[in-house]
Amino acid sequence: MSPETVRIIFDTLSVASILVLLVLGMAVIVGMMRIFNLCQGEFVMLGAVVAYLASVWLGSSLLGIILAPIFVGLFGSVLERLVIRRFYGSPAGALLATFALGFVIREVVRALMTQQGAPVPAPLPGNFEFMGANLPVWRLVIMIVTITVVALAYFGLARSAIGLRVRATLDNRELAEATGISTSRMYAGTYAVGAGLAGFAGAMIVPGRILYPDLGIDNLIPMFIAVMTGGLGTIEGPLLGAFALGVPSGLMPALINPVFAQVVVIVGAIVFMRFRPAGLVSR
Amino acid sequence: MANDLIDKAISRRNVLKGIALGGAAVGASGAIGSVLAACSPAAPTGPIKVGVLTDVTGAFGVVGKSNVETAQFTVDEINAAGGVLGRQLQLVVGDSASSTDTAATVARQLVEKDKVDFVIGTVTSATREAVKGIICTTGKTLMVIPTSYEGGDCTTNMWVVGAVPNQQVDPMVAYALEKGAKTFYCCGADYSYPRNMIAQFKKQVEAAGGKVVGEDYYALTDTDVAPLISKALAANADCIFDVTILPLSVQFLKGVVGGGFKGVHMSPLYDEGVNSLFGADVAGMISAQDFFSSGAHDEFTTKEMAAYKTKYPAGIFASSFNSAAWYRGIYMWAAAAAKAGAVDLAKINTACDSITLDKGFGGKAAMKAGTRHCSVPMQLGEMQADGSVKILKDLGVVDPTGQCA
Repeated sequence: MSPETVRIIFDTLSVASILVLLVLGMAVIVGMMRIFNLCQGEFVMLGAVVAYLASVWLGSSLLGIILAPIFVGLFGSVLERLVIRRFYGSPAGALLATFALGFVIREVVRALMTQQGAPVPAPLPGNFEFMGANLPVWRLVIMIVTITVVALAYFGLARSAIGLRVRATLDNRELAEATGISTSRMYAGTYAVGAGLAGFAGAMIVPGRILYPDLGIDNLIPMFIAVMTGGLGTIEGPLLGAFALGVPSGLMPALINPVFAQVVVIVGAIVFMRFRPAGLVSR
Repeated sequence: MANDLIDKAISRRNVLKGIALGGAAVGASGAIGSVLAACSPAAPTGPIKVGVLTDVTGAFGVVGKSNVETAQFTVDEINAAGGVLGRQLQLVVGDSASSTDTAATVARQLVEKDKVDFVIGTVTSATREAVKGIICTTGKTLMVIPTSYEGGDCTTNMWVVGAVPNQQVDPMVAYALEKGAKTFYCCGADYSYPRNMIAQFKKQVEAAGGKVVGEDYYALTDTDVAPLISKALAANADCIFDVTILPLSVQFLKGVVGGGFKGVHMSPLYDEGVNSLFGADVAGMISAQDFFSSGAHDEFTTKEMAAYKTKYPAGIFASSFNSAAWYRGIYMWAAAAAKAGAVDLAKINTACDSITLDKGFGGKAAMKAGTRHCSVPMQLGEMQADGSVKILKDLGVVDPTGQCA
């Protein structure tokens, strides 16, 4: 295999794993809870903010990556208590409310920034040699972390006892309540986990790039398309959707004009949804 | 119905104001008692309104805030020296909020409601396209464009004081050839500025016998340029001409440096205003700009830099914020108005064509007659790891080519 081919495969897997990581929190909030959470991108951006602040104040962006899911998760639970829980019965209301929240978060961050962006150093900078190709270490770390976190989230939500209660709550709230589950706590907790995972993703992807206020919203559309391609109702659906969308997003630019690559990928997703409206994994 | 009432109220107020002004005019000329003086429109005596159209908020807010500071710095200086034609300059700031729709609305307000005497501004070409018809064509108002851009805009009543592709690109090509580069790879974001810059770059390279081995663009909606980095490295060229833009230019630079690229890396978009975003990997990047704030300056520039720093201690004065061009643009209009002898569109348009400014940030500048564009002082610089710039060559005043002739 030539070094060029190795790079293309690496890029493809790397782009796909970043999208999977980004979609993970959304898989919980949009996929499982079915809240069309338009401030999901801002959770990602806030995770990047935590990574940035940790790199400046504590001298370690790695610490920021650990703190990001905690802070953004807490922030998510506050938002759930103050705003989101008022809209469980009204998807359109939730759409508008989360859009407004996202807008406010974005503009507050923008107002606090004195530059067009803020650099976040990679905890493990540098490159490594693999079959003649020179590849960035941090992107390999992202791949490994993505696989690990996806496995943990899957077992936590789809296989564990607490996951069962979460799914019971989301499936049939009245019935779950009747069996003694505190459904409002389940909702709040699940939303916080979804926010925390997004924050974690933001902190993971920002090193080696820059933090800027639109970091989240720029990623929102691909994230939503991935969730819709994968299908609502399960956690694995959106993740498979992200992978299915990420692979061509990483591969196509190497083969055709990168400007058209994105168009081809999105048209592909639309055509797919025409024939399988429920997505890859449907219940 | 309600609209009718408002219309009436407004027109009555205007009539009253008209009477009051007329009375003042008669009063002023009353001493001489000349009927002629009362009949001809009196020369306006209030401040000259400078419409500042920039993105104070939104994605380009950092640039826009800096633009307003630079404009304020410039008009304060002109006012302290007595103003223009004996009148003071007054800024009317219109915030286009990084949105072309908002820009169109604000442009209309500046021209129709505020009735500014000229407009300086726009950050992006998209904004310029959205407002130029409103300001220059239907608004019959002079507009100064203080940005480096892709070139080729010859709208009547519009004057450009920033650099066009040849002014930035040609010195960079010359440098790469001097360094022995034979093969070249070009890439950038997919819109007019990068495409025109790369077109000029290719033209110069091919004219000199160099070979362009690859040319790639990424979509403005892309969030990851990993595939582009791989293409740039695989091209294995002696020189990369990089017109990627923020925020992805950071990933691109780090990817290319990390991937072991050892050739000449050049971009028209680097200077002290943005270098800190790239970290130490910025070291070695070559760029040509109309002003670098580091390095030695002439006496005038040194003095002005100090004055700016005193007025705005946290302010960023940099080519990437078009700072020198904003300063230049306001002085260019002031000089044209002084030469014209009146704040009159036709006369100032005529005067603009042949204005020379002996002083400015980085040196003298002059409108190149018949082109609507400006000969500007240019410098070639090498970015340093600490974000400063080492001046490799003072290029002097560089003429724009191929513009509106």
